Amino acid sequence: MSELALRVRGLRKQYPKVLAVDGLDLEVFRGEVFGLLGPNGAGKTTTLEIVEGLTPPDTGLIELLGLDWRHHGREIRSRIGVQLQSTSLFNKITPKEALDLYGSYYPKRRSTAELLDLVQLQEKASAYHITLSGGQQQRLAIALALVNDPELVFLDEPTTGLDPQARRSVWDVIRHMKAEGRTVILTTHYMEEAEALCDRLAIMDHGRILTTGTPLELIQQLELPSVVEFAFDGEAPDPTGFAAKLGQPVERRGDLWEIPTRDPKGLLPCLLEFAELEHVPFEQVHVRRATLEDVFLHRTGRSLRE
Amino acid sequence: MLLRQFLMEWKLFSRDRAAMFWTFLFPLLLLLGFGVIFRSQGPALTLVWSIPAQPSRADAELEQALAGTPLKLLKLSPEEAEARWKRGETAAQIEREGDAFRIRVNSYLVAQGQSAAQIAQQAHLMATARQSGVELKLLPMTLESPGHAHATNYAAFLLPGLIGLNLLSVGLFSVGMVNVAYREKGKFRRLAVTPLPKGIFLGGQVLHRLTVVILQTLVMLVVGRLVFGIANQGSYLALAFVITLGTASFMAMGFALCSFTKTTETYGAVSNVVFMPMMFLSGVYFTLDAAPKWLQQSVVVLPLSPYIKALRGIFNDGAALMDHLGGLAVVVAWGAIFFAVAVRRFKWT
Repeated sequence: MSELALRVRGLRKQYPKVLAVDGLDLEVFRGEVFGLLGPNGAGKTTTLEIVEGLTPPDTGLIELLGLDWRHHGREIRSRIGVQLQSTSLFNKITPKEALDLYGSYYPKRRSTAELLDLVQLQEKASAYHITLSGGQQQRLAIALALVNDPELVFLDEPTTGLDPQARRSVWDVIRHMKAEGRTVILTTHYMEEAEALCDRLAIMDHGRILTTGTPLELIQQLELPSVVEFAFDGEAPDPTGFAAKLGQPVERRGDLWEIPTRDPKGLLPCLLEFAELEHVPFEQVHVRRATLEDVFLHRTGRSLRE
Repeated sequence: MLLRQFLMEWKLFSRDRAAMFWTFLFPLLLLLGFGVIFRSQGPALTLVWSIPAQPSRADAELEQALAGTPLKLLKLSPEEAEARWKRGETAAQIEREGDAFRIRVNSYLVAQGQSAAQIAQQAHLMATARQSGVELKLLPMTLESPGHAHATNYAAFLLPGLIGLNLLSVGLFSVGMVNVAYREKGKFRRLAVTPLPKGIFLGGQVLHRLTVVILQTLVMLVVGRLVFGIANQGSYLALAFVITLGTASFMAMGFALCSFTKTTETYGAVSNVVFMPMMFLSGVYFTLDAAPKWLQQSVVVLPLSPYIKALRGIFNDGAALMDHLGGLAVVVAWGAIFFAVAVRRFKWT
């Protein structure tokens, strides 16, 4: 049995106006939770769609669980679980009926009661889909992705649009999947989610993988592993002029200026002096370790949620 | 698997109140409503008579001549008559012009006006002839349908039309619109990542729509029978055959049309462009016998018009399938074209 749950080589997909996937390589090991991060339009969803067999690639090799779409489509479909970005169900189907129905499409299936239990929808088992909250609908979508006891699960933005509590309960379900030995490939917009859940991550932009590694590895790879923050009272002013004079990039984020650096100890005194000289009306200064968010910013030049 | 898919379609359909209403109740309401409204001949035709304060001998003669007709006479002074005419309430008016009479017909109410005018003309001619010693006689006239049944029953005319219209709307909306929505909302994509063969999904859908049509038709037939005493004059086998054929053709139409649009909004517009003219020009509610020849000839090539003609022929007039071979061939041809287009173009994503 192959060690790899997913192997992608030289994947390419050209749409009429945009090169969505540009020679992408990816390897995901069995049993790991793998996160695919990237700004909107980076090609994450197209990549997932190709891998899930929804969209044919122009060129490239894809192996899921050692199988090839061209020869084993049916078997692959039986062994993977997919939660699409928006799972559309009938308004008036109940979770129990939906799980029974989708379960009936597979040769091997988990019991509906067990799945309802797993995603904590026992009490809503007979409620119409349209009456469920966003979090409940999302948990049902995830339960549907598990209906065939899949070895490999794809989750496309499983927690987007959920409140913090609903997000936590989805996280628990994903952790449970890992504990059961499933491989999980997910996309997300949330860095804390990636840090909390993922064994390994890939950051992608413009249809390519920019870097891959564990969250810690990615942070340690940064050339500028520390960040000095100026906090303002309210919206931070435009830092362009200040950055030009300082001779170092300054990022504005909400009520913060962020100045990434390799040497906070050396930078801080002259930074403060310079800010005084320029009459920068900041309130507080913090120095912190870089996070995945900074890795992302550094790699793509964009904020994740832009 | 097919059975399960089929049963689930029914289960969800039965929970959709709007769909239930449009599918089962609305056609019935149309049948009951129009059937009752047009059951009788309508109100008596009214002829307004603009008559001066001092009637002449000619007026008296005219009154006598009109007395034997079914016309309802409304005698008004010239001023009142003119005021009523201006309000647009008068369909036909008779008035003096010099020594003679003349008739005015309201161009907005041609149907009533012309009938009233013609009756008045006949009465006047007969009276004139009688004065010269000639007794004119009208030929006996009866209203009869081609199959000699249900001649004066508008509901009987309407019923096959509504059944045909139902098929068109099942194709355009229950198939076309529904599948555009499934595609747009990603339901197809969710199915595409499961090992369910697509044929099973579509098969379940087709079977469900077919049974809906059968049930819908049965309900209409039973209500038609109980309320209006309308009975099928043809063979039930021929009727079942024609309905199955129509279901197949119009469902193929839905599958074909839904492959051309991406969003339900666009599809809504497209389907109405197809639905509206077909509904009004295909003889559902009335025939086009008063319309220009070119229009009558061109609607024959649309599938609904010959279809309803065949259905009406069999159901109302006891015609055989062979009598409507040409029209049914048009329906089959359209079905085949739509099917080919659907097979070529239908997309899941």
